[in-house]
Amino acid sequence: MEASEPMTGTSVSDQEVFDAFPDVNLTYDNIEHFRGLLQHKLVINRCADCGHWIYPLRPLCPQCWSRDVNPTEVSGDGVLYYQTTLMEGRHMPGFEHPHLTGGVELVEQAGLRYLAPIVGVAGGEAVEDTPVTLVWLDTAAGPVAGFTPKAGE
Amino acid sequence: MATRSNPIQDQVAIVGVGAAPYSRDSQRSLLDLGLEAAVNAIRDAGVDRDQIDGICGTGLGLGIMVTHGAGALSLQGALGIPSLSWTMNGWLGSHLVYAANAVYSGACDYCLIVQAEHRISAWSSAANQDPYRVRASRFGVHSTVPNVHYSEGWIHGGESYAAFANRYMHDYGATREAFGMFAVNNRQWASQNPAAVKRTPFTMDDYFNARMIRTPLGLLDMDLPVDGAEAMVITTRERAKDLRPDPVLLHAMSLGQAPVAEFYENGNWGKQAPWKAFEHLWARSEIQVEDVDLWYPYDGYTPIALAYTEAAGFAPLGEGWQMLQDAWNPEEQKLALRGRTRVQTGGGSLSHGRVGGTNYYTEAVHQLRGNAGEGRQVEGAKTALFGIGSFFHDPTAMLFRVD
Repeated sequence: MEASEPMTGTSVSDQEVFDAFPDVNLTYDNIEHFRGLLQHKLVINRCADCGHWIYPLRPLCPQCWSRDVNPTEVSGDGVLYYQTTLMEGRHMPGFEHPHLTGGVELVEQAGLRYLAPIVGVAGGEAVEDTPVTLVWLDTAAGPVAGFTPKAGE
Repeated sequence: MATRSNPIQDQVAIVGVGAAPYSRDSQRSLLDLGLEAAVNAIRDAGVDRDQIDGICGTGLGLGIMVTHGAGALSLQGALGIPSLSWTMNGWLGSHLVYAANAVYSGACDYCLIVQAEHRISAWSSAANQDPYRVRASRFGVHSTVPNVHYSEGWIHGGESYAAFANRYMHDYGATREAFGMFAVNNRQWASQNPAAVKRTPFTMDDYFNARMIRTPLGLLDMDLPVDGAEAMVITTRERAKDLRPDPVLLHAMSLGQAPVAEFYENGNWGKQAPWKAFEHLWARSEIQVEDVDLWYPYDGYTPIALAYTEAAGFAPLGEGWQMLQDAWNPEEQKLALRGRTRVQTGGGSLSHGRVGGTNYYTEAVHQLRGNAGEGRQVEGAKTALFGIGSFFHDPTAMLFRVD
């Protein structure tokens, strides 16, 4: 399977999202996130009333119980909350071993973490709390939001 | 002292335990293993099978219609039990809580619990070459989580536990030795357990030299996939007195849950489900953590055991690794928390074998009856505490006692 081409700048139909992610349980609650991946936009559900970011992607704000939820693009900045290098065992979809994977705490909200490949780390030795920024990776398993240490940090 | 009402306290008892042999390749079906354990447990209890009126079988959130496995429906038919008034399936340690509440409420009087496990194809590259295991992966309790998108890719995998182990060391200054102590301790106990699959002791040096799988966790940090099964029979305390002199009483329990990190991506050490479970257990217990003789923390991955050990109150948040240093007995190569509490006396999931923690319950029943044997019996043990479940979800906090 060839690496996918990003569909930036174009509209993406529901059917195209279903076709691009055959193994994801796509629902009305999470499809905008995956549509965003195809367009190279990291989109997270957000409460329109109180501004709370809702992740995992759900249809009700757990803070104020509003159903007015808007999938919204995040800035792409965060810090590496935790990480592990996978030497063997099962693979993360689209990547081979050894592979550095982490949970990035996005700057938008405390505890808002997104699981992602961590790339461009000097010597492969990642350190918790390192500032990181979004980088798009097009893999055989589809587009993946990766993160890399911020320049100069 | 308990701070809230707990009417079920000491009112439900374990009267029968049984197992099927553990092995790496039994060449037997999941149901076959479950049935052997069930028959042994029912015989150990001394009840007639017609008296069994409740079954909690093996299943992972699939309700009663688990087929091709050891779910309640298959177990009842295969065992020829004519009539049930209560059924359910469960996994990890929760089945005992479900069943205890059913017995206490009168939904059933004698409940059979069966947990059977296979070394499934998803857990081992060797198992993934076995046509029986590959075929089973498509059915029932063997169904594996599909290979979803990267952002959901940590579910039911080791990545999250490894990452949290790194974060723990980063935040609290611990080293891998804290995790290794559970691995060495459990193997040392397994060397005294003839039912354990791995019985050759290893040292801390061996632990550090083991193959690295997901940093900082190596081969000896991870539980041992096996074929095996455990079963129990429980009933009310009053009925138990007529069956045997040494029923094991369920003193307090909780299925405390934190907001679930669905993809294992959020939550913090100290705020996860294990801490909730023990907060709710201690609120219901007349026994204190200082009085615990035997401690069985879930050891699917060694950092989980450390998390449950802190959550249960054996050490303050972030100080478990230091407490373990005081608890380590280099001559024995075993832990004794506060010089007293013994840990995973049967070898746990790491060395006895992985059956989801039900073997902790049955090992403790033998200990509390005083018949663990083989040099591993803890003299005078009266209480056993359990923390069985994931670091993220589905924890069971349970406390056994005997008179």
